[in-house]
Amino acid sequence: MTNIKILGVMIGTIAVYTWIANTIPQLESVVPEELSFSADVSPAELVAAGAELYSGGGGCTTCHGLETRAPNLLSDYNGEGTIGQRCGTRVTGQDCKVYLHESMVSPADHIVEGFEPMVFQARVLSGAQIWSLVAFLQDQGGTVTVSGSDLATAAEADAAAPVGGPAVASNDPLEIMRGNLCLGCHVLEGEGAELGPAFDGMGSRIATDRIRRGIVDPAAEIADGFDHLAGSMPPNLGDMLTARQLEVIVDFLAGQGG
Amino acid sequence: MLKHNHGRWSWINTGLPVAVMLGIGLVAVAAEPLAAQSYTPREYGDFPVIGSRAAIWIAAQLHLFFAAFVLGVPMFAVVAEAIGIFSSDSRYDKLAKEFTRLLLVSYSATAIWGAILVFGLITLYPGLWGYLSEIFAPSMWVYVGIFFFESFTLYLYYYGWDRWKKGRAKWGHWGLGILLNLWGTAVMLIANSWLTYMMSPPAEVTPDTAPGMVQFWSAFANATWMPINIHRLIANVVFGGAIVGAYAAFRFLSAKTDEERAHYDWMGYIGNFIAISALIVLPFAGYWLGREIYEFNQQMGTTMMGGFMSWLWVVQAFLIAVLFLAGNYYLWVGMGRIPGAERFMPYTKWMLLVLLIGAAVWATPRNMIANRAEITAMGGQFHPFLGVLGVMSAKNTAVNFMILTTFLSFLLYRRANKKSVVSWEKTGTTIQGALFVVAAAVVLFYGIYGYFVPSIVRIGFSVYQVLAVIAAIILVVVIDILMMRGAKSRGEIRWGEMPERSQYALFILAVTFTWLMGLMGFARSGIRQHWHVFEVIRDTSVDAATPALGYASIVISACVLIFLSLVAFIFWVGGLAEKPVISDVGGGAADSAPLAKDQGMAG
Repeated sequence: MTNIKILGVMIGTIAVYTWIANTIPQLESVVPEELSFSADVSPAELVAAGAELYSGGGGCTTCHGLETRAPNLLSDYNGEGTIGQRCGTRVTGQDCKVYLHESMVSPADHIVEGFEPMVFQARVLSGAQIWSLVAFLQDQGGTVTVSGSDLATAAEADAAAPVGGPAVASNDPLEIMRGNLCLGCHVLEGEGAELGPAFDGMGSRIATDRIRRGIVDPAAEIADGFDHLAGSMPPNLGDMLTARQLEVIVDFLAGQGG
Repeated sequence: MLKHNHGRWSWINTGLPVAVMLGIGLVAVAAEPLAAQSYTPREYGDFPVIGSRAAIWIAAQLHLFFAAFVLGVPMFAVVAEAIGIFSSDSRYDKLAKEFTRLLLVSYSATAIWGAILVFGLITLYPGLWGYLSEIFAPSMWVYVGIFFFESFTLYLYYYGWDRWKKGRAKWGHWGLGILLNLWGTAVMLIANSWLTYMMSPPAEVTPDTAPGMVQFWSAFANATWMPINIHRLIANVVFGGAIVGAYAAFRFLSAKTDEERAHYDWMGYIGNFIAISALIVLPFAGYWLGREIYEFNQQMGTTMMGGFMSWLWVVQAFLIAVLFLAGNYYLWVGMGRIPGAERFMPYTKWMLLVLLIGAAVWATPRNMIANRAEITAMGGQFHPFLGVLGVMSAKNTAVNFMILTTFLSFLLYRRANKKSVVSWEKTGTTIQGALFVVAAAVVLFYGIYGYFVPSIVRIGFSVYQVLAVIAAIILVVVIDILMMRGAKSRGEIRWGEMPERSQYALFILAVTFTWLMGLMGFARSGIRQHWHVFEVIRDTSVDAATPALGYASIVISACVLIFLSLVAFIFWVGGLAEKPVISDVGGGAADSAPLAKDQGMAG
């Protein structure tokens, strides 16, 4: 009888934990899929694909599901409505579709007050994926205006983009930095965001070797006062630059005196 | 009879050569077209019914359960042996030997599951296995070498117990125990490097990096290696204590004599004490690990805490609340067998209240992924009331109060049958009380202040809260040790006079610890999402998606059931092999001195 009681307590305890874990919301981390649409894709198809990406493989809810890191896009924000309602009024003269698209491909351009720039690399998503996300967000209280022509343009751009190579072909330091979103976190002569250490005067504060190391291995040494941002800088930046581009940036930053 | 046998096996003489010839012929025919094809190694294999992922998951988890047990138990076996040597109290020596007896079969089980895991990886994930073995080959050879030495050290440690029990030989024997722990820790450090590499490969490793080009040491000592080492080291002690507690509870409930009951009551107390003491430290190691994960990759950190795993922490909070409640309950029931403990019993209902409120706050979700309909139904992103309690300020405050309350339980237990003889007893007790109040005030102050500062400042407040609690615990213990020197006894602890229900608390502790380990294993592994090696080797198998908690809980429960069934078998086998060593803890011969030593483990 004692053994049966022991068995009952143990199996009962395990059963309770299993039951609790099965009653809470079930969230699966799905693998992001490559999307392919025909020219006459319907808004409903785009929204469905975007919804899956938003709450799945796109990883959007990691920050946008939590209002503490990024504005919640599915609920009202500051009395401006859901993202589909407020996207057309965020920037004067800019329509919703353009605003949402720019926010993803160039996140530093539209930072909502009170939040830090998005830790988001548009390069990991294809043009079709980005447009499907735009459609999904428009559908949150607004009208979907993304069309097959947007996707066709994006597909052409994807095809023309270098695969696994540098983000930009230029050897101009400013173009390299803009193309790799460096100014999303670092400010240079008033351009960019004051999130990470400023590029202004960097050469007078940091040795050239450390600048180079900071680019190819950003986790190796965190600048004083920026511990809370450790891990924010893409670790694969060194792979997104040619050797020449890396040296151009290092030389440029080393030359930024006080 | 002989003829009959000859008839049954006669086909061997005639049929076997024919079958062999036919077989060779068939193979030759089959091999001909194959020989013309070039060999392409496959990336994945298939496992019937449950699939490859579940098969590897179960093998890895069971190997880890046993590994944690065989690493945790030697730690306090060697400590118990040392207490026996230094205090000349043979009960601790006998206790250490009984712990070690449980290890012998457990080692075999650990090795068997390790072999199942390796063969599973070779056959089901050959691509990944080839990649990892190319990077870590030297450490794998060292690993098996150390495991060999570890096993033979254990044999010497256990079988030499009675032979080397006096004088210098005893010290030598204790040295073997230390060596056993060193081997075990080394084995764990090596294995941890392989799995942490999959979580946090060095920055210079990319999908294009050939495994032969990966620097061994940078792969070995990767970003999360040391935090995992520390976290696992402490967790193994917790786990070992809990399993030993359950073993003692089982023996207690099936004991035939008062002496047996007394012995296993005492053993259960020691197991619970070790488990809960180490549990109190474990969250600090967890904070460090979490911080390192954030530093390695912020997206991985946010996936862990706020992404698809956000609800996992609510379940974790519930499990830890069960641990605190069961651990405290066991102590409070145990006070019933301590003369003088009656004076503290009125406080237990208030301590229970604090634990329940703390558990409720800790398990309150705040940030959850919700769709538009759910947000509308809730009236906003956050629940109007629960949202306030779900923030880290409230949770940190709650857990620190739970730790302080558990420590108070231990303190009251320790002091229950003692009467201090020092002149400053009243002052000392007042100072101890003041330390509790100050720690609680600091925790509460920063808990409330945290609502009025930015999150980055608020995170730093948890450090002040933890420091206040740790400082209070250390100072109170120091004062208590000094105050209880030469204390008079209010009466002997009546070991064995423990209600049966208390033993079920020990079972719940063991099951909960085991389940919690499985859950945290899923969290650690799941944050890689669809990567075998994070952002280096992508999982392209049919199981690439990381499952939801419901499915994970079923696998975890299956692992826990298999593990506990095997452990029950091991305990049963252990009981067959040798009669348990019953120490003299319940007899009337015990005077106040060993009594104080008994409870010395609690403080």
